[in-house]
Amino acid sequence: MTDTPNLDPFAMARTWMAQWEKAVNEHGTELLAKPEAAQAMQAFSGAAIQAQAVSNEATAKLLAAANMPSRADIEALGARVAGVEAGLARIEALLREMVPGQTTTRPAVPRTRKPSE
Amino acid sequence: MATAFLDSAQKAVEQAIQRNLKGLGYLASPAPVLGASAKDVIVSRGPMRLYHYQPLTDEVYRVPVLLVMATTNRGYIFDMVPGQSLVEFLLLRGYDVFMLDWEAPRPEDRGLGLKDYVEDFVGSAVTEVQRTTGEDDISLVGYCMGGVLSVLWSGLNHAAGPKNLAVFTTPVDFQQMTMFKAWSDQRYFDVDRLVDTLGMAPAEMLLTAFDMLRPAGRASANFALLDNLWNEEFVKGHRMFDRWSNDMLPLAGEYFRETTKQLVWENALLNGTLKIGGRPVELGKVTAPFLHVTAEHDHIVTTGASAPLIDLIGSESKEQVVLKGGHVSLIAGPNAVKRMWPKLDHWLGAKSV
Repeated sequence: MTDTPNLDPFAMARTWMAQWEKAVNEHGTELLAKPEAAQAMQAFSGAAIQAQAVSNEATAKLLAAANMPSRADIEALGARVAGVEAGLARIEALLREMVPGQTTTRPAVPRTRKPSE
Repeated sequence: MATAFLDSAQKAVEQAIQRNLKGLGYLASPAPVLGASAKDVIVSRGPMRLYHYQPLTDEVYRVPVLLVMATTNRGYIFDMVPGQSLVEFLLLRGYDVFMLDWEAPRPEDRGLGLKDYVEDFVGSAVTEVQRTTGEDDISLVGYCMGGVLSVLWSGLNHAAGPKNLAVFTTPVDFQQMTMFKAWSDQRYFDVDRLVDTLGMAPAEMLLTAFDMLRPAGRASANFALLDNLWNEEFVKGHRMFDRWSNDMLPLAGEYFRETTKQLVWENALLNGTLKIGGRPVELGKVTAPFLHVTAEHDHIVTTGASAPLIDLIGSESKEQVVLKGGHVSLIAGPNAVKRMWPKLDHWLGAKSV
């Protein structure tokens, strides 16, 4: 047995923190799992979503008034670019298939390894 | 007694000095470079990225390995830094390694659903790996929701499915994920309104939900960092994992809607009623050797949520292993290096020739 004092200033805080963490995690999760907590959270996020929807609508009207593309217009453009990218990917894949033995740019490593044990 | 007191005092002073010096270094230094193993991006389409890592051995196993990442997070958890990278470990053990990783879906990707993720993204990744390697056989290795996608694809394609199927911390009974179940209670949670309004499940919302699983987790982690600022290894590990856990991805709207309704509300995967693209997911017809590794202290995918999977899979050769660790420490960090990685290599090696 030793009576050497612990001079680490963090020692006491460490013990307190461990107890606090355990208590908060236990009681916090118990509380958050209750239907009332879920209801409150969803009411809050529902309000945030509603605010977002109103903001989206107002912004769309503003952009239309300014004769500027809306988010929907940009998304449609994005979808067309994605379609072009997908088409290019298909063409690349077809081109790779047309060149026999050129599946990768690196020399193939023999696939002969066996487990060491 | 006096010597012990002096030693203790000296240690405390040294740690305090180091804490301050390293603390300044921490604030001034750049973020660690993660996911840096040499690789080719062989598919980049929508949110899908397929990487092929450059071999580190003179010969590789015949059967390639396709890692399937969870859709909420970045795949560099599999490839943190040299010495703490599952990818590097597998390469050094002689595997030909591919990874199906994800980028944030763009607004035009809002319509991507479970069918796209399973049939298109996992399906085309498998096809591309087969084409690149010239091998029909493939080992699928999925993590969390990446495990779910791997299992779903295998359940749809049992006839021509993977040669080997290994998943980590993969939920199947979503009703046992009690916190997520409570927060997505149909009486209060209007998933249609969320998806129809925002088009995505925002990354911030998902991060908050994960944080709330352990309400004190973030404060506690920050305290542990302050306490251990003198310890270079601790700080390095903290920075890597902190960056990764905050680097969450939004989810495509339809995918989130279908996951919520079919997997959580209907629990359709557990009940065997899940259909994707009109086809039933038949886990009982999966015959590939199967390994499910779960974590003893997983607070995200609880044991109750993951344990039933082993009984649903039809394979004759199947194994469920519970290892020490949590949801993340199971697959990355010192715990994973010591426990899960060798287990995976031991299970997979003989099945990869």
